[in-house]
Amino acid sequence: MLSLPLPGGIRRNPYSLVGDPHDRRKWRIAVRRQEQSRGGSAWLHESAREGQPLKVSMPANLFPMARLARHHILIAGGIGVTPIVSHARELARLGHSFEVHYAHRAPEFGVLVDELRQLAGGDVYCYVASRNEMLDFRQLLAERPLGTHAYLCGPQGMVENFHQVARDMGWPDTHVHSERFLAPPPGEAFAVKLARSGREVAVPGDQSMLEALEAAGAEPPFLCRGGACGQCETEVIACDSAFQHNDLFLSQPERDSGRKIMPCVSRIAGGCITINL
Amino acid sequence: MSAAAPSIKSQPVYHALEWDAAGVSHLLFVAADDRPLLERLLAAPPRGDLTVLVTDAAAADHLRASGSDAHTVVEDGLARGLEALESFLRTADMGLRLYLVGCEDAIWQAAGIAARYGMSSAEIRLFQTGTKARPVFCVHCRAMTRGVRTNLADCSGCGRTLFVRDHFSRRLGAYMGFQIDAEEPGVKPPVEVAYP
Repeated sequence: MLSLPLPGGIRRNPYSLVGDPHDRRKWRIAVRRQEQSRGGSAWLHESAREGQPLKVSMPANLFPMARLARHHILIAGGIGVTPIVSHARELARLGHSFEVHYAHRAPEFGVLVDELRQLAGGDVYCYVASRNEMLDFRQLLAERPLGTHAYLCGPQGMVENFHQVARDMGWPDTHVHSERFLAPPPGEAFAVKLARSGREVAVPGDQSMLEALEAAGAEPPFLCRGGACGQCETEVIACDSAFQHNDLFLSQPERDSGRKIMPCVSRIAGGCITINL
Repeated sequence: MSAAAPSIKSQPVYHALEWDAAGVSHLLFVAADDRPLLERLLAAPPRGDLTVLVTDAAAADHLRASGSDAHTVVEDGLARGLEALESFLRTADMGLRLYLVGCEDAIWQAAGIAARYGMSSAEIRLFQTGTKARPVFCVHCRAMTRGVRTNLADCSGCGRTLFVRDHFSRRLGAYMGFQIDAEEPGVKPPVEVAYP
């Protein structure tokens, strides 16, 4: 987790470490420059300077590997390649059987391919959209030996498709792993009432609820800031608008109950929400 | 068959066996003769390939008589059956579901093999039927004594008289046994058939 000193205030963004996990002297991240940056990637590409100290938090792993697997299939979509490189590095070090499939938009987006080839040798397969190469999960997951585990880090649609195909092909959820990279989606402005202090905080359309709370001086819990870990789960006391749940954490019954929200990525469609904070 | 609540948390509870509709191929391992169960399962076979691997002679006879068209492999006894299971799993693909029917000794040995091939509990269903005899793991010499029907049993490794506990290890597929007269040598309760 990097704290970036943006002009509008501190922005905390999570990034995947892509370096050697056994080299504790440096932490390495890869950041894609987003055309529609919420500020973080643009600031890192344009304003960050060598030697500039940044506040970072301890790393956490929310995308662990199954160490008893007989074979690992690592799949990356776009910049989702970052945790995949770390997994490939660890599997190569352990001498386990694995292969890497990497889908990206155009050859120039294939960052870290050379590094992957060093780690996995010939078992790196690229699918470049500009060359009309498509990654077909049905083909990829067919006739795999028992005890194979598959991992994907990529955008939400790709992750959903991956899980659906795996389920259709009889893969149990225990063998299918994913991490979705997710910046807090923008939406309508709304208000948050803090039940314990009685304060009210305005959440602008381009800011997440968690960021707005932090900017107002509240200190809600958080860890991944990507809707995956569950750390920021917050009790909802009242809400006069529709929920927009974007997290991967809450179950459908929890969503239906209207009693819980993950402020790092989820919001409401205008109006006001009262939370137990 | 309703499962009695176990006296201890680690003791397995077995639920009525049903096909797992999420699987695309299925292997039914039968190590005991439970005719009503087999008839019920084979009357409504699951979607996808089904193989039945039978190690119990009576169950094999019943299966033949039933006229089921499931692909059936008969092996002579548990040891050969477990070897056949292993060679099946060696070349099997993801999407397989494994169903284990028999006494606890048989089904947990089979589950151990499946775990070595990377199967998780989400892919394996176990059902205890036939004898209640227990495999017992000696906590003193680590030897396994199989087919124990009594509350006390002589360890096959060190010869100590073991008390058979309800504490069960899924990894070892066995109940824990410890020396009954360690504190007062020779003082032992009467031997009773506890696991018929």
